Amino acid sequence: MSRGGNAEELIVFGATILGFANACINLNIVAGSQATNLISGIEVNGWYPFTRLREIERMVVESYEKCGPIMERAGIEMMSIWYNAGPGKQIIKRGVEFLYFQSGSQGYASVVKGPKDQVGSFNLVEIDEKRGRALIHSTDPFDKDLERGVIIGGLAAPGDLDYIDVNNDEDPHHFRIEFG
Amino acid sequence: MNLEELLASETQTTKSDLSEEDFAKLLRKYKGLLKERGRDKAFWEATNENLKIAYGKLDEKERELARAYAIIQEDLTVGSQVQQALQPKATGKMAAELDIAVYHKQLAEVGGDYYDFFRTKNGDYAIGVFDISGHGVSAALVMTYLKALFTQIMETHVNPEKIVEEVNRSCFGFLRKVKKYATVNFVVFGPNSVTYTCAGGFGMLLRHREPTLFQKRDNFLGLREKPFHQHTLPFEKGDFLVLYTDGIVEAKNAHNEDYTVSRLNRLVSSAAERGVAEVVRICLGDYQGFREKDTDDITFIALQKKA
Repeated sequence: MSRGGNAEELIVFGATILGFANACINLNIVAGSQATNLISGIEVNGWYPFTRLREIERMVVESYEKCGPIMERAGIEMMSIWYNAGPGKQIIKRGVEFLYFQSGSQGYASVVKGPKDQVGSFNLVEIDEKRGRALIHSTDPFDKDLERGVIIGGLAAPGDLDYIDVNNDEDPHHFRIEFG
Repeated sequence: MNLEELLASETQTTKSDLSEEDFAKLLRKYKGLLKERGRDKAFWEATNENLKIAYGKLDEKERELARAYAIIQEDLTVGSQVQQALQPKATGKMAAELDIAVYHKQLAEVGGDYYDFFRTKNGDYAIGVFDISGHGVSAALVMTYLKALFTQIMETHVNPEKIVEEVNRSCFGFLRKVKKYATVNFVVFGPNSVTYTCAGGFGMLLRHREPTLFQKRDNFLGLREKPFHQHTLPFEKGDFLVLYTDGIVEAKNAHNEDYTVSRLNRLVSSAAERGVAEVVRICLGDYQGFREKDTDDITFIALQKKA
Protein backbone atom coordinates (compact mmCIF):
# COMPACT_ATOMS: atom_id res chain seq x y z
CA MET A 1 0.00 0.00 0.00
CA SER A 2 1.28 3.48 -0.83
CA ARG A 3 0.33 6.96 0.43
CA GLY A 4 -0.16 8.13 -3.13
CA GLY A 5 2.11 11.22 -3.01
CA ASN A 6 4.44 11.45 -6.01
CA ALA A 7 3.64 8.08 -7.49
CA GLU A 8 6.37 6.60 -9.68
CA GLU A 9 4.06 3.86 -10.81
CA LEU A 10 0.42 3.81 -11.76
CA ILE A 11 -1.61 3.57 -8.57
CA VAL A 12 -5.32 3.54 -7.84
CA PHE A 13 -7.30 4.57 -4.77
CA GLY A 14 -8.45 1.68 -2.53
CA ALA A 15 -12.09 2.85 -2.59
CA THR A 16 -12.13 2.47 -6.39
CA ILE A 17 -10.85 -1.10 -6.23
CA LEU A 18 -13.32 -1.91 -3.45
CA GLY A 19 -16.14 -0.27 -5.41
CA PHE A 20 -15.40 -2.36 -8.48
CA ALA A 21 -14.88 -5.54 -6.45
CA ASN A 22 -18.08 -5.04 -4.46
CA ALA A 23 -20.01 -4.31 -7.66
CA CYS A 24 -18.81 -7.66 -9.01
CA ILE A 25 -19.82 -9.37 -5.77
CA ASN A 26 -23.26 -7.69 -5.65
CA LEU A 27 -23.96 -8.77 -9.23
CA ASN A 28 -22.72 -12.33 -8.51
CA ILE A 29 -20.11 -11.91 -11.24
CA VAL A 30 -17.73 -13.49 -8.77
CA ALA A 31 -18.51 -15.47 -5.61
CA GLY A 32 -16.99 -17.58 -2.87
CA SER A 33 -13.23 -17.52 -2.30
CA GLN A 34 -12.71 -15.55 -5.53
CA ALA A 35 -14.79 -12.74 -4.03
CA THR A 36 -12.93 -12.85 -0.73
CA ASN A 37 -9.59 -12.67 -2.54
CA LEU A 38 -10.71 -9.62 -4.51
CA ILE A 39 -11.03 -7.42 -1.45
CA SER A 40 -8.56 -9.01 0.95
CA GLY A 41 -5.95 -6.53 2.18
CA ILE A 42 -7.49 -3.52 0.38
CA GLU A 43 -8.10 -0.49 2.58
CA VAL A 44 -10.57 2.16 1.47
CA ASN A 45 -8.10 5.05 1.89
CA GLY A 46 -5.00 3.21 0.63
CA TRP A 47 -3.31 3.45 -2.75
CA TYR A 48 -2.46 0.28 -4.67
CA PRO A 49 -0.73 -0.64 -7.91
CA PHE A 50 -3.15 -0.38 -10.81
CA THR A 51 -2.46 -4.06 -11.46
CA ARG A 52 -4.78 -4.89 -8.53
CA LEU A 53 -7.67 -3.44 -10.48
CA ARG A 54 -6.42 -5.05 -13.69
CA GLU A 55 -6.56 -8.44 -11.92
CA ILE A 56 -10.28 -7.96 -11.23
CA GLU A 57 -10.87 -6.83 -14.81
CA ARG A 58 -8.96 -9.85 -16.11
CA MET A 59 -10.92 -12.18 -13.88
CA VAL A 60 -14.22 -10.90 -15.30
CA VAL A 61 -12.94 -10.98 -18.88
CA GLU A 62 -11.57 -14.51 -18.45
CA SER A 63 -14.73 -15.75 -16.72
CA TYR A 64 -17.15 -14.41 -19.34
CA GLU A 65 -16.72 -14.79 -23.04
CA LYS A 66 -19.25 -12.03 -23.69
CA CYS A 67 -18.18 -9.53 -21.09
CA GLY A 68 -19.00 -6.06 -22.53
CA PRO A 69 -22.53 -5.77 -21.04
CA ILE A 70 -21.29 -7.39 -17.81
CA MET A 71 -18.54 -4.78 -17.45
CA GLU A 72 -21.02 -2.01 -18.23
CA ARG A 73 -23.38 -3.29 -15.53
CA ALA A 74 -20.47 -3.53 -13.07
CA GLY A 75 -19.64 0.13 -13.80
CA ILE A 76 -23.27 1.17 -13.14
CA GLU A 77 -23.32 -0.82 -9.89
CA MET A 78 -19.94 0.62 -8.88
CA MET A 79 -21.28 4.18 -9.14
CA SER A 80 -24.45 3.23 -7.27
CA ILE A 81 -22.20 2.06 -4.40
CA TRP A 82 -20.13 5.28 -4.75
CA TYR A 83 -23.26 7.42 -4.50
CA ASN A 84 -25.27 5.51 -1.89
CA ALA A 85 -22.53 4.11 0.35
CA GLY A 86 -19.56 6.34 -0.50
CA PRO A 87 -18.88 10.06 -0.83
CA GLY A 88 -21.05 10.53 -3.96
CA LYS A 89 -23.94 12.35 -2.25
CA GLN A 90 -21.53 14.95 -0.85
CA ILE A 91 -20.01 15.59 -4.28
CA ILE A 92 -23.03 15.71 -6.59
CA LYS A 93 -26.67 16.58 -6.09
CA ARG A 94 -27.83 16.23 -9.71
CA GLY A 95 -26.87 13.72 -12.38
CA VAL A 96 -25.36 16.35 -14.61
CA GLU A 97 -23.00 17.45 -11.84
CA PHE A 98 -21.25 14.12 -12.28
CA LEU A 99 -20.23 15.33 -15.73
CA TYR A 100 -18.99 18.69 -14.42
CA PHE A 101 -17.00 16.77 -11.81
CA GLN A 102 -14.99 15.31 -14.68
CA SER A 103 -13.83 18.76 -15.92
CA GLY A 104 -10.05 18.86 -16.19
CA SER A 105 -10.03 15.18 -15.16
CA GLN A 106 -10.48 16.24 -11.50
CA GLY A 107 -12.71 13.25 -10.68
CA TYR A 108 -10.33 10.85 -12.34
CA ALA A 109 -7.25 12.47 -10.77
CA SER A 110 -8.72 11.88 -7.30
CA VAL A 111 -8.61 8.10 -7.80
CA VAL A 112 -5.65 7.40 -10.13
CA LYS A 113 -2.09 8.74 -9.90
CA GLY A 114 1.13 7.97 -11.66
CA PRO A 115 3.50 8.92 -14.46
CA LYS A 116 1.82 11.27 -16.94
CA ASP A 117 2.34 8.98 -19.93
CA GLN A 118 0.60 6.13 -18.12
CA VAL A 119 -2.11 7.88 -16.12
CA GLY A 120 -3.91 9.47 -19.10
CA SER A 121 -7.07 11.51 -18.61
CA PHE A 122 -10.83 11.31 -18.29
CA ASN A 123 -11.99 14.73 -19.26
CA LEU A 124 -15.29 16.48 -19.94
CA VAL A 125 -14.62 18.03 -23.37
CA GLU A 126 -17.95 19.71 -23.98
CA ILE A 127 -21.37 19.97 -22.42
CA ASP A 128 -24.65 21.56 -23.45
CA GLU A 129 -26.96 21.13 -20.52
CA LYS A 130 -29.89 22.70 -22.33
CA ARG A 131 -29.73 20.27 -25.25
CA GLY A 132 -28.73 17.39 -22.99
CA ARG A 133 -25.46 16.62 -24.78
CA ALA A 134 -21.93 16.10 -23.56
CA LEU A 135 -18.66 14.57 -24.67
CA ILE A 136 -16.02 12.93 -22.51
CA HIS A 137 -12.61 12.04 -23.84
CA SER A 138 -10.79 9.23 -22.10
CA THR A 139 -7.19 8.12 -22.49
CA ASP A 140 -7.00 6.38 -19.12
CA PRO A 141 -6.20 2.70 -18.71
CA PHE A 142 -9.67 1.57 -17.56
CA ASP A 143 -11.75 -0.92 -19.54
CA LYS A 144 -13.98 1.15 -21.83
CA ASP A 145 -17.13 -0.92 -21.22
CA LEU A 146 -16.64 -0.47 -17.48
CA GLU A 147 -16.08 3.24 -18.05
CA ARG A 148 -19.31 3.56 -20.08
CA GLY A 149 -21.10 1.94 -17.13
CA VAL A 150 -19.40 4.37 -14.75
CA ILE A 151 -20.72 7.36 -16.73
CA ILE A 152 -24.25 5.91 -16.92
CA GLY A 153 -24.17 5.00 -13.22
CA GLY A 154 -22.78 8.41 -12.19
CA LEU A 155 -25.49 10.24 -14.15
CA ALA A 156 -28.26 7.95 -12.91
CA ALA A 157 -27.28 7.78 -9.24
CA PRO A 158 -29.02 10.97 -7.99
CA GLY A 159 -32.23 9.83 -9.74
CA ASP A 160 -33.18 13.17 -11.32
CA LEU A 161 -32.61 12.28 -14.99
CA ASP A 162 -35.31 10.64 -17.09
CA TYR A 163 -33.11 9.74 -20.01
CA ILE A 164 -29.46 8.69 -20.22
CA ASP A 165 -27.56 7.32 -23.17
CA VAL A 166 -23.81 6.90 -23.43
CA ASN A 167 -22.32 5.75 -26.68
CA ASN A 168 -18.72 5.03 -27.60
CA ASP A 169 -19.37 2.66 -30.50
CA GLU A 170 -17.54 4.82 -33.05
CA ASP A 171 -14.50 5.51 -30.95
CA PRO A 172 -14.04 3.74 -27.61
CA HIS A 173 -12.20 6.77 -26.19
CA HIS A 174 -14.96 9.28 -26.96
CA PHE A 175 -18.15 8.92 -24.95
CA ARG A 176 -21.08 10.73 -26.56
CA ILE A 177 -23.59 11.40 -23.84
CA GLU A 178 -27.26 12.30 -24.07
CA PHE A 179 -29.33 13.07 -21.05
CA GLY A 180 -32.51 14.78 -20.01
CA MET B 1 -52.98 17.80 -13.65
CA ASN B 2 -49.23 17.12 -14.02
CA LEU B 3 -47.56 14.01 -15.46
CA GLU B 4 -47.13 12.19 -12.13
CA GLU B 5 -50.82 12.71 -11.25
CA LEU B 6 -51.87 11.56 -14.71
CA LEU B 7 -49.75 8.43 -14.45
CA ALA B 8 -51.26 7.65 -11.03
CA SER B 9 -54.80 8.24 -12.30
CA GLU B 10 -56.98 5.34 -13.36
CA THR B 11 -58.88 7.34 -15.96
CA GLN B 12 -57.74 7.24 -19.54
CA THR B 13 -55.71 10.30 -20.54
CA THR B 14 -55.13 12.00 -23.85
CA LYS B 15 -52.33 14.15 -25.14
CA SER B 16 -54.42 17.26 -24.48
CA ASP B 17 -54.46 16.50 -20.75
CA LEU B 18 -50.69 17.18 -20.66
CA SER B 19 -48.81 20.43 -20.80
CA GLU B 20 -46.12 20.65 -23.45
CA GLU B 21 -43.47 20.41 -20.76
CA ASP B 22 -45.03 17.25 -19.30
CA PHE B 23 -45.42 15.75 -22.73
CA ALA B 24 -41.72 16.34 -23.42
CA LYS B 25 -40.91 14.82 -20.02
CA LEU B 26 -43.06 11.80 -20.86
CA LEU B 27 -41.18 11.30 -24.10
CA ARG B 28 -37.83 11.58 -22.27
CA LYS B 29 -38.97 9.05 -19.70
CA TYR B 30 -40.10 6.72 -22.46
CA LYS B 31 -36.79 7.09 -24.32
CA GLY B 32 -34.92 6.59 -21.03
CA LEU B 33 -36.87 3.43 -20.31
CA LEU B 34 -36.17 2.11 -23.81
CA LYS B 35 -32.45 2.72 -23.33
CA GLU B 36 -32.54 1.11 -19.90
CA ARG B 37 -34.43 -1.84 -21.32
CA GLY B 38 -31.82 -2.15 -24.07
CA ARG B 39 -29.01 -2.20 -21.50
CA ASP B 40 -30.89 -4.72 -19.34
CA LYS B 41 -31.54 -6.91 -22.37
CA ALA B 42 -27.86 -6.83 -23.37
CA PHE B 43 -26.85 -7.68 -19.79
CA TRP B 44 -29.26 -10.60 -19.46
CA GLU B 45 -28.48 -11.93 -22.92
CA ALA B 46 -24.77 -11.84 -22.07
CA THR B 47 -25.49 -13.47 -18.70
CA ASN B 48 -27.57 -16.15 -20.38
CA GLU B 49 -24.89 -16.78 -22.99
CA ASN B 50 -22.21 -16.89 -20.29
CA LEU B 51 -24.32 -19.33 -18.30
CA LYS B 52 -24.60 -21.62 -21.33
CA ILE B 53 -20.83 -21.48 -21.77
CA ALA B 54 -20.31 -22.12 -18.05
CA TYR B 55 -22.61 -25.19 -18.18
CA GLY B 56 -20.64 -26.44 -21.17
CA LYS B 57 -17.40 -26.06 -19.23
CA LEU B 58 -19.01 -27.76 -16.23
CA ASP B 59 -20.00 -30.70 -18.42
CA GLU B 60 -16.44 -30.99 -19.67
CA LYS B 61 -15.12 -30.89 -16.08
CA GLU B 62 -17.65 -33.57 -15.12
CA ARG B 63 -16.39 -35.78 -17.94
CA GLU B 64 -12.79 -35.15 -16.82
CA LEU B 65 -13.75 -36.08 -13.26
CA ALA B 66 -15.48 -39.23 -14.45
CA ARG B 67 -12.35 -40.24 -16.38
CA ALA B 68 -10.17 -39.54 -13.34
CA TYR B 69 -12.57 -41.45 -11.11
CA ALA B 70 -12.48 -44.45 -13.45
CA ILE B 71 -8.68 -44.50 -13.27
CA ILE B 72 -8.75 -44.26 -9.46
CA GLN B 73 -11.40 -46.99 -9.28
CA GLU B 74 -9.30 -49.25 -11.47
CA ASP B 75 -6.24 -48.59 -9.28
CA LEU B 76 -8.28 -49.35 -6.15
CA THR B 77 -9.55 -52.60 -7.64
CA VAL B 78 -5.99 -53.70 -8.38
CA GLY B 79 -4.93 -52.48 -4.91
CA SER B 80 -7.67 -54.58 -3.35
CA GLN B 81 -6.57 -57.62 -5.33
CA VAL B 82 -2.95 -57.05 -4.27
CA GLN B 83 -4.03 -56.85 -0.62
CA GLN B 84 -5.98 -60.06 -0.97
CA ALA B 85 -2.98 -61.73 -2.57
CA LEU B 86 -0.89 -60.64 0.42
CA GLN B 87 -3.21 -62.39 2.87
CA PRO B 88 -1.35 -65.30 4.42
CA LYS B 89 -2.22 -68.99 4.55
CA ALA B 90 -1.17 -71.29 7.36
CA THR B 91 1.10 -74.05 6.13
CA GLY B 92 3.43 -76.72 7.52
CA LYS B 93 3.82 -76.89 11.28
CA MET B 94 1.43 -74.00 11.83
CA ALA B 95 -1.37 -75.65 9.86
CA ALA B 96 -0.67 -78.95 11.61
CA GLU B 97 -0.82 -77.50 15.12
CA LEU B 98 -3.56 -74.84 14.85
CA ASP B 99 -7.16 -74.61 13.78
CA ILE B 100 -7.50 -71.10 12.37
CA ALA B 101 -10.53 -69.07 11.29
CA VAL B 102 -10.31 -65.48 10.13
CA TYR B 103 -12.76 -62.71 9.35
CA HIS B 104 -11.00 -59.83 7.61
CA LYS B 105 -12.83 -56.97 5.94
CA GLN B 106 -11.61 -53.60 4.79
CA LEU B 107 -14.04 -50.70 4.94
CA ALA B 108 -12.92 -49.38 1.53
CA GLU B 109 -11.44 -51.26 -1.42
CA VAL B 110 -8.08 -51.14 0.33
CA GLY B 111 -7.49 -50.55 4.02
CA GLY B 112 -5.21 -50.40 6.98
CA ASP B 113 -6.06 -53.60 8.88
CA TYR B 114 -3.55 -56.30 8.20
CA TYR B 115 -2.58 -59.67 9.58
CA ASP B 116 0.28 -61.92 8.64
CA PHE B 117 1.89 -65.22 9.49
CA PHE B 118 5.64 -65.33 10.02
CA ARG B 119 8.33 -67.80 10.88
CA THR B 120 11.11 -66.87 13.28
CA LYS B 121 14.66 -67.79 12.44
CA ASN B 122 14.60 -70.59 15.05
CA GLY B 123 11.56 -72.18 13.40
CA ASP B 124 8.68 -70.97 15.55
CA TYR B 125 5.69 -69.54 13.77
CA ALA B 126 4.19 -66.20 14.63
CA ILE B 127 1.11 -64.09 13.93
CA GLY B 128 0.98 -60.31 13.68
CA VAL B 129 -2.24 -58.31 13.69
CA PHE B 130 -1.97 -54.64 12.75
CA ASP B 131 -4.24 -51.65 12.41
CA ILE B 132 -2.77 -48.65 10.60
CA SER B 133 -4.39 -45.31 11.43
CA GLY B 134 -6.83 -44.07 8.81
CA HIS B 135 -8.25 -46.02 5.90
CA GLY B 136 -7.72 -46.30 2.20
CA VAL B 137 -4.68 -46.17 -0.01
CA SER B 138 -2.30 -44.39 2.39
CA ALA B 139 -2.99 -46.91 5.16
CA ALA B 140 -2.61 -49.79 2.71
CA LEU B 141 0.76 -48.49 1.53
CA VAL B 142 1.99 -48.12 5.13
CA MET B 143 0.79 -51.68 5.71
CA THR B 144 2.95 -52.94 2.83
CA TYR B 145 5.90 -51.00 4.23
CA LEU B 146 5.45 -52.57 7.70
CA LYS B 147 5.10 -56.05 6.21
CA ALA B 148 8.47 -55.65 4.50
CA LEU B 149 10.06 -54.32 7.70
CA PHE B 150 8.78 -57.22 9.83
CA THR B 151 9.99 -59.79 7.31
CA GLN B 152 13.42 -58.18 7.22
CA ILE B 153 13.81 -57.72 10.97
CA MET B 154 12.73 -61.29 11.78
CA GLU B 155 15.87 -62.45 10.08
CA THR B 156 17.88 -61.11 13.04
CA HIS B 157 15.50 -61.21 16.06
CA VAL B 158 13.32 -63.94 17.61
CA ASN B 159 11.69 -62.32 20.65
CA PRO B 160 8.46 -60.38 20.01
CA GLU B 161 9.56 -57.40 22.10
CA LYS B 162 12.83 -57.10 20.19
CA ILE B 163 11.17 -57.59 16.82
CA VAL B 164 8.52 -54.95 17.49
CA GLU B 165 11.06 -52.60 19.09
CA GLU B 166 13.36 -52.85 16.09
CA VAL B 167 10.48 -52.34 13.65
CA ASN B 168 9.42 -49.27 15.63
CA ARG B 169 12.98 -47.92 15.62
CA SER B 170 13.21 -48.41 11.86
CA CYS B 171 9.83 -46.93 10.94
CA PHE B 172 9.47 -44.27 13.65
CA GLY B 173 10.79 -41.30 11.66
CA PHE B 174 8.84 -42.25 8.57
CA LEU B 175 5.54 -42.80 10.40
CA ARG B 176 5.92 -39.44 12.15
CA LYS B 177 6.57 -37.79 8.81
CA VAL B 178 3.48 -39.25 7.16
CA LYS B 179 1.45 -38.71 10.36
CA LYS B 180 0.51 -42.36 10.74
CA TYR B 181 0.74 -44.86 13.52
CA ALA B 182 -0.10 -48.54 13.82
CA THR B 183 -1.25 -50.91 16.51
CA VAL B 184 0.52 -54.24 16.60
CA ASN B 185 -0.28 -57.46 18.37
CA PHE B 186 2.58 -59.82 17.72
CA VAL B 187 2.46 -63.43 18.97
CA VAL B 188 5.19 -66.05 18.69
CA PHE B 189 4.06 -69.65 19.24
CA GLY B 190 6.47 -71.87 21.21
CA PRO B 191 6.01 -75.63 21.73
CA ASN B 192 3.58 -75.18 24.66
CA SER B 193 3.33 -71.43 25.08
CA VAL B 194 2.71 -68.14 23.36
CA THR B 195 4.87 -65.05 23.83
CA TYR B 196 3.32 -61.80 22.76
CA THR B 197 3.92 -58.07 22.55
CA CYS B 198 0.69 -56.12 22.46
CA ALA B 199 0.98 -52.49 21.41
CA GLY B 200 -2.69 -51.85 20.69
CA GLY B 201 -5.20 -54.32 19.37
CA PHE B 202 -6.76 -57.04 21.48
CA GLY B 203 -6.01 -60.60 22.51
CA MET B 204 -7.65 -63.13 24.81
CA LEU B 205 -6.49 -66.62 25.72
CA LEU B 206 -9.03 -69.19 26.93
CA ARG B 207 -7.45 -72.02 28.85
CA HIS B 208 -9.70 -74.48 30.65
CA ARG B 209 -12.53 -71.90 30.13
CA GLU B 210 -10.50 -69.29 32.04
CA PRO B 211 -9.95 -66.09 30.04
CA THR B 212 -6.66 -64.18 30.18
CA LEU B 213 -6.63 -60.81 28.45
CA PHE B 214 -3.48 -59.62 26.72
CA GLN B 215 -1.66 -56.86 28.59
CA LYS B 216 -1.52 -53.71 26.56
CA ARG B 217 1.32 -51.70 28.10
CA ASP B 218 3.16 -50.60 25.01
CA ASN B 219 2.76 -47.65 22.66
CA PHE B 220 1.61 -47.98 19.09
CA LEU B 221 4.25 -48.14 16.37
CA GLY B 222 5.28 -44.63 15.41
CA LEU B 223 4.13 -43.02 18.65
CA ARG B 224 7.17 -43.15 21.01
CA GLU B 225 10.67 -44.51 20.85
CA LYS B 226 10.45 -46.58 24.02
CA PRO B 227 11.25 -50.21 24.84
CA PHE B 228 8.50 -52.78 24.23
CA HIS B 229 7.59 -55.65 26.56
CA GLN B 230 6.70 -59.27 26.01
CA HIS B 231 4.59 -61.69 28.06
CA THR B 232 4.42 -65.47 27.99
CA LEU B 233 1.34 -67.61 28.56
CA PRO B 234 0.93 -71.39 28.42
CA PHE B 235 -0.74 -72.57 25.22
CA GLU B 236 -1.46 -76.27 24.98
CA LYS B 237 -3.80 -78.61 23.17
CA GLY B 238 -7.40 -77.36 23.36
CA ASP B 239 -6.44 -73.83 24.38
CA PHE B 240 -8.22 -71.10 22.44
CA LEU B 241 -6.88 -67.72 21.37
CA VAL B 242 -8.56 -64.74 19.72
CA LEU B 243 -6.73 -61.75 18.25
CA TYR B 244 -8.59 -58.77 16.84
CA THR B 245 -8.45 -55.10 15.95
CA ASP B 246 -10.88 -52.45 17.20
CA GLY B 247 -13.31 -52.68 14.24
CA ILE B 248 -15.89 -54.84 16.03
CA VAL B 249 -15.56 -53.64 19.61
CA GLU B 250 -15.73 -49.92 18.81
CA ALA B 251 -18.78 -50.28 16.55
CA LYS B 252 -21.87 -48.38 17.63
CA ASN B 253 -25.54 -49.22 17.43
CA ALA B 254 -28.39 -46.89 16.54
CA HIS B 255 -28.44 -45.60 20.14
CA ASN B 256 -24.74 -44.67 19.92
CA GLU B 257 -23.78 -47.46 22.35
CA ASP B 258 -20.43 -49.26 21.94
CA TYR B 259 -20.26 -52.95 21.17
CA THR B 260 -17.45 -53.28 23.80
CA VAL B 261 -14.58 -55.67 24.37
CA SER B 262 -16.35 -57.44 27.22
CA ARG B 263 -19.34 -58.35 25.02
CA LEU B 264 -17.09 -59.89 22.39
CA ASN B 265 -14.93 -61.76 24.90
CA ARG B 266 -18.02 -63.15 26.71
CA LEU B 267 -19.36 -64.38 23.41
CA VAL B 268 -16.02 -66.01 22.51
CA SER B 269 -15.88 -67.71 25.94
CA SER B 270 -19.39 -69.08 25.60
CA ALA B 271 -18.88 -70.38 22.05
CA ALA B 272 -15.25 -71.58 22.19
CA GLU B 273 -16.10 -75.24 22.58
CA ARG B 274 -17.88 -75.15 19.20
CA GLY B 275 -14.59 -74.53 17.39
CA VAL B 276 -12.90 -71.64 15.66
CA ALA B 277 -15.17 -71.40 12.59
CA GLU B 278 -18.32 -71.29 14.74
CA VAL B 279 -16.81 -68.69 17.06
CA VAL B 280 -16.10 -66.42 14.08
CA ARG B 281 -19.58 -67.01 12.64
CA ILE B 282 -21.37 -66.35 15.96
CA CYS B 283 -19.31 -63.26 16.81
CA LEU B 284 -19.75 -61.83 13.35
CA GLY B 285 -23.51 -62.47 13.44
CA ASP B 286 -23.79 -60.75 16.81
CA TYR B 287 -21.77 -57.78 15.58
CA GLN B 288 -23.85 -57.44 12.42
CA GLY B 289 -27.05 -57.53 14.43
CA PHE B 290 -25.72 -54.85 16.75
CA ARG B 291 -23.95 -52.27 14.63
CA GLU B 292 -25.79 -49.54 12.79
CA LYS B 293 -23.19 -49.50 10.00
CA ASP B 294 -19.60 -50.56 9.38
CA THR B 295 -17.27 -47.71 10.25
CA ASP B 296 -13.86 -49.40 10.42
CA ASP B 297 -11.78 -52.20 8.99
CA ILE B 298 -12.24 -55.48 10.87
CA THR B 299 -9.79 -58.28 11.59
CA PHE B 300 -10.88 -61.11 13.87
CA ILE B 301 -8.80 -64.27 14.18
CA ALA B 302 -9.72 -67.34 16.24
CA LEU B 303 -7.09 -70.06 16.87
CA GLN B 304 -7.20 -73.35 18.72
CA LYS B 305 -4.26 -75.59 19.47
CA LYS B 306 -5.10 -79.01 18.15
CA ALA B 307 -1.81 -80.81 18.61
